[in-house]
Amino acid sequence: MTLLSTSTTAASAVFFCLTMQPIIELQNIVKTYSTPAGDFAALRGINLRVYKGELLGIIGKSGAGKSTLLNMINGVDRATSGEILVRLNAATEERVGQFEESQLSLWRGRTMGVVYQSFQLLPMLTLVENIVLPMDLCGLYDARTSRERAIELLRLVELEDQAQKLPSQISGGQQQRAAIARALANDPPILVADEPTGSLDSVTADTIFELFEHLVSDQSKTIVMVTHDSSLAPRFSRSLTLADGELVSDSENAHSGGLRRVASAQKKVATKPARPKRGTKRGAK
Amino acid sequence: MIRPRWRKVFHDLFDNKARTLLVVFSIAVGVFSIGVISGAYKIIQSDMSVSYAANHPGNIELRLADFNADTLASIRNSAGIADAEGRRVVNFRVRTAANDKWVTLDIVALDDFAQNRVNLLAPVEGASIADKNQILLEKDVLENIKAQVGDPLSIELADGTVKTLLIVGIVQDASTGAGDFLAPSTAYIHMSSMPTLRQPQLYNRALVLVSEGQDDLEHIRIVGADLKSKLEKNGFPVFRTRFSETHKHPLADTVNAVLGILMALGILIVFLSSSLIANTLNALLNQHMRHIGVIKLVGGDNRQVLAMYLVLILAFSVLALAVAVPLGGGGAYGLATFLAGKLGFGLLGYRIVPSALLIQFLVGILVPLLAGLIPVIGGSRVTVLTALSGDSAREGDTRSTGDPASMTRWERVQTQAVIFLARRGIHIPRPFVISLRNTFRRRGRLALTLFTLTMGGAIFIGVFNVRVTLDDYIDSIGQYFRADVTLDFDQPYYIDEVKQFALQVPGVSTVEGWQFAGAELLDEQGAVIDNLNILAPPADSELIKPIISAGRFIKLGDERKLAISEAILNYYPNIQPGDLLPMNINGRVEHWEVVGLFKFVGRDGILAYMPLDYSAQISNMINRSFSFRIVTNPHDRATQDLMAEKLDRYFRDAGFKVRSSQSGLASLDSAAESLDTLVTFLLIMAILTAVVGSMGLAGTMGMNVLERTREIGITRAIGADDRAVMRTVIAEGLVIGMISFALAIVISVPITYLLSWIISVAVFESPLATHFTWQGYLIWLALLLVLSTVASILPARNAARLTIREVLAYE
Amino acid sequence: MSQRVARVTEVRVSKKSAPRVVAKKSSTAQKESSRTSPLRGEKNIIPAEREGPMIETRGIVKIFTNAAGAFTVLKGVDLTIERGEFVSIVGKSGSGKSTLLNMITGIDHPTSGQMIVGGADIYDNLSESARSKWRGRNLGIVFQFFQLLPMLTLLENVMLPMDYADMYEFESRPARAKELLVLVGLEKEASKLPAAVSTGQQQAAAIARALACDPPLLVADEPTGNLDSKSADAIIQVFEKLVAQGKTIVMVTHDPSLTSRTHRNIIISDGELIHEAVSRSMPQLRHRHMLEATKLAKPVTFKKGETILDFNQPVENLYVIVRGNVDVLKKSRGASKPLTQLGPDDFFGDIEILRGGKSIAAVRASEKESVEALALPKADFLRILSESPITKVALDKAVAEKMKNHKPAASKSEE
Repeated sequence: MTLLSTSTTAASAVFFCLTMQPIIELQNIVKTYSTPAGDFAALRGINLRVYKGELLGIIGKSGAGKSTLLNMINGVDRATSGEILVRLNAATEERVGQFEESQLSLWRGRTMGVVYQSFQLLPMLTLVENIVLPMDLCGLYDARTSRERAIELLRLVELEDQAQKLPSQISGGQQQRAAIARALANDPPILVADEPTGSLDSVTADTIFELFEHLVSDQSKTIVMVTHDSSLAPRFSRSLTLADGELVSDSENAHSGGLRRVASAQKKVATKPARPKRGTKRGAK
Repeated sequence: MIRPRWRKVFHDLFDNKARTLLVVFSIAVGVFSIGVISGAYKIIQSDMSVSYAANHPGNIELRLADFNADTLASIRNSAGIADAEGRRVVNFRVRTAANDKWVTLDIVALDDFAQNRVNLLAPVEGASIADKNQILLEKDVLENIKAQVGDPLSIELADGTVKTLLIVGIVQDASTGAGDFLAPSTAYIHMSSMPTLRQPQLYNRALVLVSEGQDDLEHIRIVGADLKSKLEKNGFPVFRTRFSETHKHPLADTVNAVLGILMALGILIVFLSSSLIANTLNALLNQHMRHIGVIKLVGGDNRQVLAMYLVLILAFSVLALAVAVPLGGGGAYGLATFLAGKLGFGLLGYRIVPSALLIQFLVGILVPLLAGLIPVIGGSRVTVLTALSGDSAREGDTRSTGDPASMTRWERVQTQAVIFLARRGIHIPRPFVISLRNTFRRRGRLALTLFTLTMGGAIFIGVFNVRVTLDDYIDSIGQYFRADVTLDFDQPYYIDEVKQFALQVPGVSTVEGWQFAGAELLDEQGAVIDNLNILAPPADSELIKPIISAGRFIKLGDERKLAISEAILNYYPNIQPGDLLPMNINGRVEHWEVVGLFKFVGRDGILAYMPLDYSAQISNMINRSFSFRIVTNPHDRATQDLMAEKLDRYFRDAGFKVRSSQSGLASLDSAAESLDTLVTFLLIMAILTAVVGSMGLAGTMGMNVLERTREIGITRAIGADDRAVMRTVIAEGLVIGMISFALAIVISVPITYLLSWIISVAVFESPLATHFTWQGYLIWLALLLVLSTVASILPARNAARLTIREVLAYE
Repeated sequence: MSQRVARVTEVRVSKKSAPRVVAKKSSTAQKESSRTSPLRGEKNIIPAEREGPMIETRGIVKIFTNAAGAFTVLKGVDLTIERGEFVSIVGKSGSGKSTLLNMITGIDHPTSGQMIVGGADIYDNLSESARSKWRGRNLGIVFQFFQLLPMLTLLENVMLPMDYADMYEFESRPARAKELLVLVGLEKEASKLPAAVSTGQQQAAAIARALACDPPLLVADEPTGNLDSKSADAIIQVFEKLVAQGKTIVMVTHDPSLTSRTHRNIIISDGELIHEAVSRSMPQLRHRHMLEATKLAKPVTFKKGETILDFNQPVENLYVIVRGNVDVLKKSRGASKPLTQLGPDDFFGDIEILRGGKSIAAVRASEKESVEALALPKADFLRILSESPITKVALDKAVAEKMKNHKPAASKSEE
């Protein structure tokens, strides 16, 4: 079943490549930091197209520049040179560099959910409050809808029972799921994740991955994720390797992907019933 | 559901209780001290005059020869006079069964307590009307004797017989003697008791109310001068006159000046506490960097973040106001009550002073907002990247993302200094180098902390210096009263005779006979301005060492010449030695030459000196005197009291008519006491500033340690045990303390001069020579050592308690 | 199967009957023991012994408890590291490697179990504070983020541990610190603050600091994690130099290019150690499968010359040699002829299990010494392989290779 949906995604990705504009396009992105030892180029001219419905993995060692790259895409950091274009639909094209810091926050809230390795939930707010927060700040939903949406998102990540708990009262995997739910609060079409499984044990990390796969296949989200764990490569619909600030390979997971699917399909049959499908409310203004 | 961002604000309010307490307390201290002082100021300003006026103080007080009801009637009928009361005031020595010592009192006889219209008596306890052979005590009397309503009061008459009156009540007379620190206490009897005391039922004092212009001193003077000349024409010489306005307490100016000083200190405290608030909020925002990053990451913009933190500050303000406004109101009333009690006037009761309330609210809300604005705006503008990477929270300086290519000049100075010292063989242990450099890492915070701590210390030291200055001044005033015992008689005795007797008492070493003349100071038009008390010691007297500020002191052979206190400058600001001064003496207008000016404290008239010889000549009392100054050996207070008693008994037994026998500086005690009150208030304010300063230090140390948790973890990882960690933190606190002490030494000099100038001008109407004392410096040093250690120990202990795992988990 | 350098002991996993620990003392470790203590003044809190293993953990369990419940990070770790070894610890995030490191350094305390470092049980009756003191004198720590104190110059940073531990004469500390900075090539930067030098230099200074009190043991947590590859290489070279001088170094890393340069590589997965023989013999397995294999395998011992597998028998286990050598014999004209000898980390039985059928050769423990091995049941082995296609591919290749070499013998045996 998952096998089916994933390969559909892969197929559709191929289809989009041929027919559609990329949803994110990086044009020759350079990022230079000055250090005592002289300028240090964290990114040396990155060209990248991300298409709708991809689960894109960017793999690299620490120091390769992958977090910097992610921070360029989500507008947290600014490129030294180059352009980042985001096209949510055929009609609009936004340059991330054009926004001011304060506009950027709002834009990011609506366009892109961000997930970090360290979850970054506000410790004093309950899970449901953490998820209402982005809606509260962006003002896209009224108070009642916000709350309903938050509960719905918690249900999506299977945390509805924990809605009233504080982040410290739940496990790391649950916190990361809550962080993903928060990233989805304003129903952004894109999700960017920086080592989302980095702090989790392997079993928990799997569930996060399954959630990502589910979001791509059933919610048509586009996900860009960076990681240092090259063993995860087969699980992406496409994975890139970043080394010393440059993209060294860009490969569709054709061969190795097949192997992984066999393994994961077997395991899922053994351990888990099919995930109940509940769509979130879509189509925010 | 409450919006999550406000939930966060609400949580932040109570999240770190120590921090919340620090902020709330900082705000509250400022609001409280401003509230107390402005409230007390307002209450005293209105109540002092209202309560003073409510007692119908006489505008003119005349002391004259005995007169009867007819004369009183003619006074009442004079032009511009609304009302007048006649009284007889006689000085007696009294005591109760519970007291061994005799105490001098002015006993005031009234015709009719019910008809009392001037200088009203307010009942305090028991009856407010005394019948025949009953007496009412003014409540100040109780400070000198133990007495209760119902006790008999023994009164010693001039011939030594003792009569007894029954104390039936305690009253308060807010008017008589107001404004005179040296005035004797009073007691009240009905005129019908006068025969018991072998006194005639005649008046010797008139209290007069003018019919209009009761608050116009000029007008009162003119009316008084007219009245006086009328009385003297009718054969009633007027010895002294006193004028006062109905709505102005004689001490109003002094009290206002004192409150003004306290107000200045209050504003300073607000200022200091605001820097404390700024410091704490700065740290709070640093600690919240990550939260701000998350909020901005999920869609919050600058304005939303700014609003959240402004609301947080407002919430701190509200908490502080909730605490400080009621306390401040109570404190204001307490301070006012205390001052009112000291100065002998009543308050109209507890109330909320709207203007003080307004000031409190303004201070409580605006000061934190202003203090917090810069850190909050800075915090709200931080970028997500900086916020989430936690750079600025960790290091504080601006090199977080910029280029750390080279060290700052300051860092180079620091490192070079250590190298320089090392070359000369002075090696500083590295843990102490850490303390030293940590001290200077957050320079903004350090500056604010040093500012509060230094100002607190400088004021603390300054107050001690001012106290010594005042004490010194009182001491030097004592030079005018160097006699150990003053013996006054009801009739003049030959000086040699008294000397002979006195020297037979063991312990007596010197005896001098002094004379006294009352006079009135006239203005250029010949109107009475003030009373002039002229003392006449022997020209070569050893019992007076005046502080001459211009010209010279009296000498033998001076005729119609006097040395006069600086208070004369109030009326004749340009007077110089050699000038002639118009005065009314012994019923005649004369012009005396001023030979010199000297410094003196005292408000009841102006003091002057002339040589005994000339006084004897004009009073026709050659070689005789009413008053004798006696020097005993030794000079301590106990001996003086003992000798006063001894001499009193000795002379009475020998048949002398002793009026009073007072030990040395008894009369100065009350003056010193009221100065002590003033100093106490200053000290309280100084301690408040010191408290704010040390709170600042504690807060700073807490924040420093909190921000350096990671570094403390590193030191533990490389081998620092609990003691090493604590030593490093405490050393930093001590370094800050010692820097502030050095600064306080410097700053305390101008502050001392300023404070002593303001206070001496307010109280004595002339600046005093400022003195310094090591006391304040030493006490502050000791206090600072303790405070710095205590302020560091708590954070240091917390730091030592953290396990390294927790610390490095900060990563 | 390449590293057989000065390897000394083996790793045991709890819940198993503990096999005998065999220790070979390396010559460097003995040199180490002659180190004289420069300690001044007061006595060391725990006298560090100069004999015996450097680190010995006995059944270390660590359970973190939070509101979400208890979570066991270390599930009974037994590990012995000898003096003079250069050991890397590898594991995925969340595997417990940092926690294990924190146990060794005395930064965290175990829920149960013993941690003996330099002969001293560091969690037995020792306060956090005393442990800090002990740590300062007996081990150096190198962190991923360098953790130099920013307000001290590099030289001062290096002197600091000597101040805390009160080792070496006060006046001689600057000279010693300078020497250490020379050792790591930082003599020119001595009076600079950490922020003024590159990250690689900061890490070098951190190593100099870790060496300040001349501890026998150095513990490094991802020391090259934040460095570019050139700086990382320089750091590892320093480590190698130190090991040559007799230091023991334990390093956590996830960089495979570094693990190849250490004497031993210990893999930790989900709080348990993987048997080194397993990880070395089948490196392609995912950690999870290695752990499974470690748990399912039974340790077996064979006497000198004992026959482990005879010809033409059903093969029920995969054998991984832990210690000792075995001779593989083929039947040649009715007689057994030695075909090859297998040593530690080699395995046998794979051909038969993968290809089916009975044993194609006999295996016998060598005459010199007894053999210790792990026996992994056939079914478990096959299941693990099915979940790890990469390993299967690799093994298939290896089997094909072996078969090519020994075809004649094999075919004969089948006859």
